[in-house]
Order: sequence, then C-alpha cells, then structure tokens
Amino acid sequence: MKLENTRVAFTETLMELAAKDPAVCLVSSDSIKALRADPFMEKFPERTYEVGIAEQNAVGLAAGLASCGMIPFFGTYAGFITMRACEQVRTFVCYPGLNVKLVGLNGGMASGEREGVTHQFFEDIGILRSIPGTTIVVPADASQVRHAVRAVAKVPGPAYIRLGSGRDPVTFEDDCPFELGKMRVLREYGSDLAIFGNGFILPRVLEAAERLKSDGIKATVVEVHTLRPLDVGGIAGVLKRTGAAVTVEDHNINGALGSAIAEVIAEEMPCPLTRVALRDVFPGSGHPDPLLDYYGIGVKDIMEAARRSISRKQ
Amino acid sequence: MTQDVRELNNIARQIRRDVVTMIHLAGDGHPGPSLSCVDIVTSLYFSVMRTDPKNPRWADRDRFILSKGHACPTLYAVLARKGYFPVSELPTLRSLNSKLQGHPDMNKTPGIDTTSGSLGNGISIGVGMILAGRQQKHDYHVYVVTGDGELEEGIVWEAAMSAKKYKAGRMIVFIDNNGMQSGGAIEVVSGIAPILPKWEAFGWHCQEIDGHDIGQILAAVKAAQAVKDAPSVILSHTVKGKGIPFMEHNNAWHKAVPTKEQLAEALAALGGE
Repeated sequence: MKLENTRVAFTETLMELAAKDPAVCLVSSDSIKALRADPFMEKFPERTYEVGIAEQNAVGLAAGLASCGMIPFFGTYAGFITMRACEQVRTFVCYPGLNVKLVGLNGGMASGEREGVTHQFFEDIGILRSIPGTTIVVPADASQVRHAVRAVAKVPGPAYIRLGSGRDPVTFEDDCPFELGKMRVLREYGSDLAIFGNGFILPRVLEAAERLKSDGIKATVVEVHTLRPLDVGGIAGVLKRTGAAVTVEDHNINGALGSAIAEVIAEEMPCPLTRVALRDVFPGSGHPDPLLDYYGIGVKDIMEAARRSISRKQ
Repeated sequence: MTQDVRELNNIARQIRRDVVTMIHLAGDGHPGPSLSCVDIVTSLYFSVMRTDPKNPRWADRDRFILSKGHACPTLYAVLARKGYFPVSELPTLRSLNSKLQGHPDMNKTPGIDTTSGSLGNGISIGVGMILAGRQQKHDYHVYVVTGDGELEEGIVWEAAMSAKKYKAGRMIVFIDNNGMQSGGAIEVVSGIAPILPKWEAFGWHCQEIDGHDIGQILAAVKAAQAVKDAPSVILSHTVKGKGIPFMEHNNAWHKAVPTKEQLAEALAALGGE
C-alpha cells in the first residue's frame, strides 16, 4: 500500500499559507519534531511560538494570538489537545469563536500504532463533537490534508483537523477536490446499503465494498470527512436510496462518525445500522494492519456488518 | 484620564456602590472578590490604560484581562462608568439576554477583551496577545488581574515560563492577594505561599504593594512599565469585601447576595451617592 506522511503534508501547506498571509503562525508544545515543522520554524522563526510541554498554555496563548487578529495553528498529539487542554479549547477557543486551528496527531488507534494507548487517540472527535462551535475534519490521506488545511484556513473560527502517524495510507489522487462540509460518494455499486467511512482506514472500506460486490452485494460507499458541519441532507439522501447502513472509523464506537450517522438515521431516515469501530475498550501496541484487524476494524468485519444491516432491512 | 488620587478614590467608591447594587439586584454574584480588586481596576482604566470606549476593538488599545472573572461586576461597573455602554444596563447583570453575563464574555460586552471565569487562564491568553502585538508592530500593554487562589492552577506557571522566555515586558500582572478563596484562607486550602519568591524564581520583575492605595498602584505600574525585557508582577495586598465593614475579611461574602437592608447599610458605609 502506498503511504504518504500527513504531518509533512500539513506543514508544507501551512508554509504555503504563511507565505501569503502574515497572520498565519504556528504554536508548538514541543511538537515541532512530531509535526515535521522544522522547515516552518526555519523559514518563519518569528511566527513559531514554542511553549514547551504545556498544552493548556499552548491553547490559551493561541486564543490570545487569535483575539488580536493572528491565525494560529496549534498542533500536537490529538489527545493532548482534546483531553489535556480540553477546557481551554472549549472555553477560550470555541466559546468565543476564535480563529484557532487545532491539528491533532495520531488520530485513531492505527495512527498511534506501536506507541500504545498513551499515544493512541480514539476519543478526540467524540470529545469535540460534544463542544459547540468548532469545525471538525477527518481527512483520508496526505493530499486531502492539504486541501483540508487550505479549506479551514479560509473559514474564520475554530477548526480541528485530524492527522496520522506519518505512515498514512493514500486513498485519493493529489488533485481530487475537497469540499468542506460535504460528504462524497466514492463508489456507487448499487443501493443494497450505504457504507459510511472516513480517515486513514478508507482503503479497507473500499476493499470490503469491492469484495461485497463480488458476493452480489452492491454498496454505495460514502466518505464523511467533515463531522461538523455535518452534511445531514446528503447523508439522509443516501440513506433513503439504500435503506441500510454501516459506519467504519478508527475511533471509539461512541461519539464520532457512527454516532453522527445514527443521529441522522434516528431523526431523518430510520433504517438498520451497524457500526464498525473500536468497541469501547483500550487497544494496545501493534503494527496498524493486524491491530485494526484484531480490534474489529478489518475488511471481514466491514463485510459482516454489511450483511447484518441488509438482513435487518424491512 | 487622571492622576488625581482623590478623584480616583471617588470613582472607586462609585464602582463599589455599583457592585453591591448590581449583585443585590441580580440576586447572585461574588461581592467579596469583586470589592477587593476595585482600586486596581479603577486605576488601570481611569489613569493608566490607552483605551477608546467609542471604539472598543481599536487594534492599538491596551488590553485588560480579568483572570478572576467572577469579579466581573467590578469590571462591568468600570466599563459602564468609562462609557463603553450605558450605566442603566448594569442592573441587567446575570439576566437572560443581558450583555452582562455571570462571567465575562468578549463577544457580548463592549470593552471586554477576553472571555474569562475559568480560573488560571488569563496570563496564558495575555502572552498570546503580547506576541500578536509584537508581530503586528503594536505597542500596547497587557494588564492582567489574577486572584491569589487561582495561582494554584498549573497553567499559571506554564504561562509564567512563556512570558519570561518571550521577554514580555509589556505584560503587567496584578495579583489580588486578598488571602481567601472559596474554601477558606489560601494558606489552609493550598500550599501556594510564599507567592512572590515563586515569581522571582520564574524570572519576573516583582513588586509588592497595598492594593487599595491608589498612589502605590500607579507608582507600581510606572516601575513595571520601565522594565522592558521581563514581565512584571505586582503582589497587591487587598481585603476581601473592601469598603463595606460587614463584608471585610468575611469569606461568607465570597459568593452571597446582600438583602435590601444590607445594601442600604453597605451604601451608607461607602458614602457618596
């Protein structure tokens, strides 16, 4: 499988933005190396703010920068933003609606891979979805990260982008467009069911859909890269056509994509749903592929979920 | 703007009258910690800070952060008396759809530079403002009023490190050292004392004053402004409930509402009208 580094993609795009806009800056909590942001620091030393290992302060400082017209991007491991500094994100960024962009590394257990649970973050999206006010994007690969960073920079206000480990599978061609807040249909084999997925595990979703097709089950595969604003109309339309759904994500089973689709199903278009995600347990170290398989996010799990949802169709 | 201490004391008395009246009318609020910082906030807005009440978002203005956001009745009264919004709006404190939220909201109240109320965060946000000003070639100062109890929060010391690292000479922090927090005396609740040696160890320029002596407040600001390469902290000894004898030193007034009779007694003790 082709891999490309989402962290490098982020930093390169940030440099492109900073070259055009003197307000764009970077806040680091000793995360320059993790962000692969040395080139940014070298080119824009006066716009690189390093606070050391102090994430709460990094978010507070970013809020102060943004309140005076700067556009700070603060990046570090996803959990240190959404958990360690959760209240600063909520009260000083989201509540006042300040233009702070948060960039979470190691999103999902596969991105944390051999680091173990302390550095595997599978709660970030659920936490942020419970806080009003921030755009939330889960890009699928490096090229989509580039598009997503440019897209959130254009919209004033808080945003969160989830990145990976640096060894991140490629799903899309570089020039594949990205529209913030819109779901996108990736495969339309038929209308037996819809499979909604996002993030770096999309290749597994596509493989499962392909194999289901060989077995005579025709799926519509939909990427939901933006969790807020959620494309409720688009999702409800797909549900109406298919009448059965599966969600697939590298996140704990509650709070993120599976929950978002369940909410649309419950309120807009009732139909059977099966969620494929980390099943409310702490995972562990391991190479991403066997790790995902072991914790129930394998191609086979997706195929089984599809059959389960179809069997429950009215 | 005035340097006349007698005039500033008169304004501070008016602010104290506003504070107890607002909290009485709202039926909720923190009189004790509001009253302890009245002289500091009054001095800053009426004698020190570069502001334009008609243009509250002026990019070159000095910034003020009430890190101890629960003392906002004081800030609201000062902003109203400065002309940011009508004094007649003060009685709407804490009511539905009021500009004057239970804790400061930078998007609802003209003149509020930072949302605050969750303790410990003001200095961190202030460092960001200083760095933005440096990048944008503005020469504003950032003034922060923090409680003493909130120094127990770890982010305070994270921010103290950053302010020192970035030589934030334009940052001036007042510690409203009234000696009490919600649960009682700070030395009983936590191990925060001694306070000033900690700031010295973090590389800050340190002063110690009587936080109710406006002459000392103004002199300390001048001395702090003269320090260009380090942030300044001014440990200000204050009295919780200052100005109203039955509230002074009485932590029952940390969060409490004066009755109609108590309000009358408070206003009589303050004098003025």
